[in-house]
Amino acid sequence: MTKVSFQLTVNGRVREASVPPRMLLSDFIRHELAMPGTHVGCEHGVCGSCNVMLDGKAVRSCLMFAIQAEGSEITTVEGLATGDDLHPIQQAFWEEHGLQCGFCTPGMLATAQELLAENSDPTDDEIREAISGNLCRCTGYEFVISAIRSASVKLRAAQAETTLQPV
Amino acid sequence: MSNHLKSNVIPPSRQREAPRAGMTWIGQSMKRVEDPRILSGKGGYIDDIAVPGMAHAAMVSSPHAHARIVSIDTSKAEKLPGVIGVYTGEDMARVVDPCPSFASPPITQNAMSVGKVRHVGEVVAAVVAEDRYVAEDAAELVEMEWDILPACVDLEASAAATGEAVLHPDDRDGNVALDESFSFGDVDEHFDEAHTIVKRRLRWRRSSAQAIETCGVVAQFDPFKGGYTIHSNSNFYNFIPFVIGGSLRVSPGELRIIPVLTGGSFGSKVFSHKIIILTAGLARLAGVPVKYIEDRLEHFTNSDSHGSDRLYDAELAVTEDGTFTSLRFTVMDDYGAYLQFGVGTHGNAMAQVTGPYQIQSFGMRVMAVLTNKTQQGPYRGFGSEVTNWVMERMVDAAAEELGRDPVELRVQNMIQPDQFPYMIPTGNIYDSGNFQKVLSEAQTMFDFDGWRDKARAMRAEGRCVGVGLATCMERSVYGPTEWWSLNNKETPGFTLTSTPEGITVRLDPSGKMFVTLNSPMVGNSPETVVAQILAERLTIAPEDIVFNYSDSQSGFNGVGPQGSRFTAMIAGACVSASIKLEEKLKRFGAHMLQRRPEDVELRNGTVAVKGLKDQEKPFGEIALTSSFFRLSFPDGEEFDSGIETTAVYDHPLSTDPAEDRSHLGIFYPIVGHICHIVAVEVDAGTGKVEILDYAAVHDNGTMVNPRTLAGQVWGGTANGIGTTLSEVFNYDDEGQFTNPNFAEFAMPTANEMPRNFKLGHVETPSPFTEYGIKGGGEGGRLGAPSALTSAIEDALSDRGVKITSLPVTPPILRGLIRTAEQTAAE
Amino acid sequence: MKPSAFRYERPTDLQAALALLATGGDARILAGGQSLVPMMNYRLAQPACLIDINRVSDLDYIREDGDVIAIGALARHGAIKSSDLIKAHLPIVAEAYDWIAHAAVRNRGTLCGNLCHADAASEMPAIMQILEAELVLAKVGTTRTVAATEFFVGTYETAIAEDEMLTEVRIRKPAAGTGWGFEEVAMRRGDYAWCTVVATLEISDGNIVAPRIAIAGVNDCAARLGTVEGALTGKKPDASLFADVAATAAEAATPTENAAYKRDLIRALLPRVLNDAVERAG
Repeated sequence: MTKVSFQLTVNGRVREASVPPRMLLSDFIRHELAMPGTHVGCEHGVCGSCNVMLDGKAVRSCLMFAIQAEGSEITTVEGLATGDDLHPIQQAFWEEHGLQCGFCTPGMLATAQELLAENSDPTDDEIREAISGNLCRCTGYEFVISAIRSASVKLRAAQAETTLQPV
Repeated sequence: MSNHLKSNVIPPSRQREAPRAGMTWIGQSMKRVEDPRILSGKGGYIDDIAVPGMAHAAMVSSPHAHARIVSIDTSKAEKLPGVIGVYTGEDMARVVDPCPSFASPPITQNAMSVGKVRHVGEVVAAVVAEDRYVAEDAAELVEMEWDILPACVDLEASAAATGEAVLHPDDRDGNVALDESFSFGDVDEHFDEAHTIVKRRLRWRRSSAQAIETCGVVAQFDPFKGGYTIHSNSNFYNFIPFVIGGSLRVSPGELRIIPVLTGGSFGSKVFSHKIIILTAGLARLAGVPVKYIEDRLEHFTNSDSHGSDRLYDAELAVTEDGTFTSLRFTVMDDYGAYLQFGVGTHGNAMAQVTGPYQIQSFGMRVMAVLTNKTQQGPYRGFGSEVTNWVMERMVDAAAEELGRDPVELRVQNMIQPDQFPYMIPTGNIYDSGNFQKVLSEAQTMFDFDGWRDKARAMRAEGRCVGVGLATCMERSVYGPTEWWSLNNKETPGFTLTSTPEGITVRLDPSGKMFVTLNSPMVGNSPETVVAQILAERLTIAPEDIVFNYSDSQSGFNGVGPQGSRFTAMIAGACVSASIKLEEKLKRFGAHMLQRRPEDVELRNGTVAVKGLKDQEKPFGEIALTSSFFRLSFPDGEEFDSGIETTAVYDHPLSTDPAEDRSHLGIFYPIVGHICHIVAVEVDAGTGKVEILDYAAVHDNGTMVNPRTLAGQVWGGTANGIGTTLSEVFNYDDEGQFTNPNFAEFAMPTANEMPRNFKLGHVETPSPFTEYGIKGGGEGGRLGAPSALTSAIEDALSDRGVKITSLPVTPPILRGLIRTAEQTAAE
Repeated sequence: MKPSAFRYERPTDLQAALALLATGGDARILAGGQSLVPMMNYRLAQPACLIDINRVSDLDYIREDGDVIAIGALARHGAIKSSDLIKAHLPIVAEAYDWIAHAAVRNRGTLCGNLCHADAASEMPAIMQILEAELVLAKVGTTRTVAATEFFVGTYETAIAEDEMLTEVRIRKPAAGTGWGFEEVAMRRGDYAWCTVVATLEISDGNIVAPRIAIAGVNDCAARLGTVEGALTGKKPDASLFADVAATAAEAATPTENAAYKRDLIRALLPRVLNDAVERAG
């Protein structure tokens, strides 16, 4: 089968790819790059488990072909933590019990990341609306909402700290 | 107590650890042990597994509900580059036998159809190829010829069907696979003497759990050893080898099932035996390791986990003063095309069929009807969610007919706090409870009286606002007799009576405690729970505990998370292991401290001399010395090196059913209680329901971790809201499943959940389990449908709308309102 | 659920894209892919060739062109929803997006792709019709303009030819004081609509002027309600008038399924939409 070769950046690292054009971005990330943190729940664009950040926007990786990401920058759940330190959003999900089975969580994290980048202090209704494209069957969403609220506090505090540091 | 229950003697409590105030770890909302690896994408779910040389399977699925296979031509598919093999049901039958069944006598089911298909989505052939894309290309090239048979879709029509419409003519003459009647106590007498007999026909339609992860398997066959190595996301991995070994023609010991982190179950992955047999058979036929992960469509149509689909004709006998005396019903259940669990879901419901009320007798006729749909399996509640709803519907109906306040009528009939343990007519007991306290806390939290006044005022303004309240049971810690107690008495089937849970605990020379669990993590919190209990019992810090999961060959008994059993059962195993470990630690520690074992105690992760501050040996030092310095201890077996123990905990309280089934024995005795109250507004023009306010109070005994318990309650409530308002599987007249996707099978999103959700807990410890813990994994779904239905009916009370069927989607509810409007106009 | 194989083309300018389209052979334009790729994953669509226009960056715009707002083929729903230009001149479009899919889908999906997909239960085809949008269809060597009211022919059927591509949507800015209304019933917010009713109108001397009303999710494609518009023109807003026209509209509807319910929804939603539009007009 004809393959296409291209480059893209995933979690800060340039990756070479050679895959058939029909390969979905979700399969590419999971199986070609061996980064299984991105999950596939429905493959028809409804559940949001496969959400990843593509050039700063959350997208459904099951509704894109890998080749379409040529030259793009992708962040997956594997790229959130710094070394052993969880990202503040991950930390908030841990503290607030924002996950149970964890299968939808990587997609939730991508959605939360996008929301908080665009709106540093969202209301509960804004959080609810933002994650309404991510299905979770475990949590009933209550603690996911608490987690994102708590993450926004953490991120704002971190931001304030950075701003206050002498130049 | 009624005479029929006299022989059902309640065994004494085996509780060793009573709950006490001021526990250090039990009762804390500790952050979960499981989370960091999951949050960083390193959970290790089934599709993350890859083994060398692994190929991928894709299925050819039946497009028909009921048809004979005339021919299968795989030649084009076989020629496609990248294809390793294409296999039909007849090929599979060379290496595997039919699936196990709890139905007795069984209904034959093959993992891959032979000769005939009985529902859309049933697998008729499979391709094994180098990758899933190619496998799906090849699957499209398999050519089938069919002889279409009449499809049985309607429950009552199927029950009456004959001839070619009979699904399993080799196993049953018609489509009624089981028809049994039971009477527990003086049912006829109570109905004869009743002042009022409340009758309702109630319908509960099918949906399913639809965890976000589907079922999957990676299977390898070793032709030299003759066994299989299988990765599976089944919940039941330490048990299934004994059930499916026969199907795979190997001894259970030759099946090595390796668990993985599971992306949600809610019952849907309790067994997963068919997909294991299917994938293992393909691995054997293809001679390579095979991965098969259901896609979403396959999970909907072929995963054998559809929920209850029942029609009840229910009657409640009530005396003049409003006392309930008896309940009876005839229930027909649309099981789909097979009967894997027999009528186990109805057995389950017998655990709490009379709800929190003092009802003296109970009778039922249960009919299992086969139709051309995907077969039923477990879904959060396992049948009890339906009888909870039926019971609460009947109480609301009785209140209406008697002109009584529905809450007052509930209170009048409730079991009193001094009546526990309370035996219900079926023979099951309720170990403990305080239903009145749960009710009053919920009412206060919700401002129930205030809301009722407000709703009445809003209705007077023409708005459709209503309040609903439900008081329901949440049985937990299942005993397996529910699988078979309702089977035909002459052929009861596999009369399993054990549900053990085991644990291995080892203190490593570094001071870490290594724990091996025998049940998988499915979204519950097994590691967190065990860390809290072991920390409590052995005074060790939770962060010093490291977790592993056994596989089915290396592990010990484990039955997995189901029937809200895991927390209470593993707590028992933890206590058993702790007792043994404590004894060992004290023996070694006392020797090192030059004291007698009876003079030392466990203190903050040390063995310490009673009453003396500085005389102590850390566990790590004891483990190190005992592991590497044997000669520091006396000769003799009791000082053999290493600090390790394996312990198992059996069901704390169960008895056999009566031989004549005059009662079913004690099988689900650790009961929680829940009260849900909800206010809704119905948009009468569109049938949309908006939840205005919601309060839930749950009593799950002693809470190990309030936050994770709250997570279970909210999640279950979300499931219950979906079941009530939006989730249903639709089949057309030809048996086509018309909405098997996430766009049309509408599970609630964050937008559909109540904005204002209040949760409270009452703790009535069980006198039978360790620390008084009860299970709490299903409660939300056991209460939400009843409360919501009641609220919607209240909102539409001025319009005379009655809700007798779930779900009430907007089109359905609008249809009821339209009919009521037309009736009013006439 | 994996797509079947296809030839992949990724032109970087419009002419190259049109040239590829002209070669025929079952080619499909891939823009946001939020409707096409699910169908491909289910193998309900198996195009031989995909022409990916995501690198035709000239088509990614939302701009003011005199008294027209022009939206290019690569403008994503998310960009349109948050565009100040759209919020200022076409508030119904910005607001309606709250009901259309979810953020991650809107981040990729395009308005033009959505219109070409022509799902009968999709909202924008109805909104474009009441805004009297003009759709620019290009093929090698020529372009033509089709009114949105002429574009939608049936379920998944439009006036576009196989060698044509929808390159731009042109919407005249509504007159000052135009009021609008949007109501939808779907199972969940973000789902395809069971019924969407949209309207714009002006009020002059207390009378309704230039009412434009459309429904989606009911008939085989989104459509204007000409009879209702006629019945409202020049009339004073009035609850019984609204109920009457809603009843007329409900009777005139030709629902493809669940007819009684769909008619009920029109009866319920149309008066609400008209009330909102009247309230916003001024």
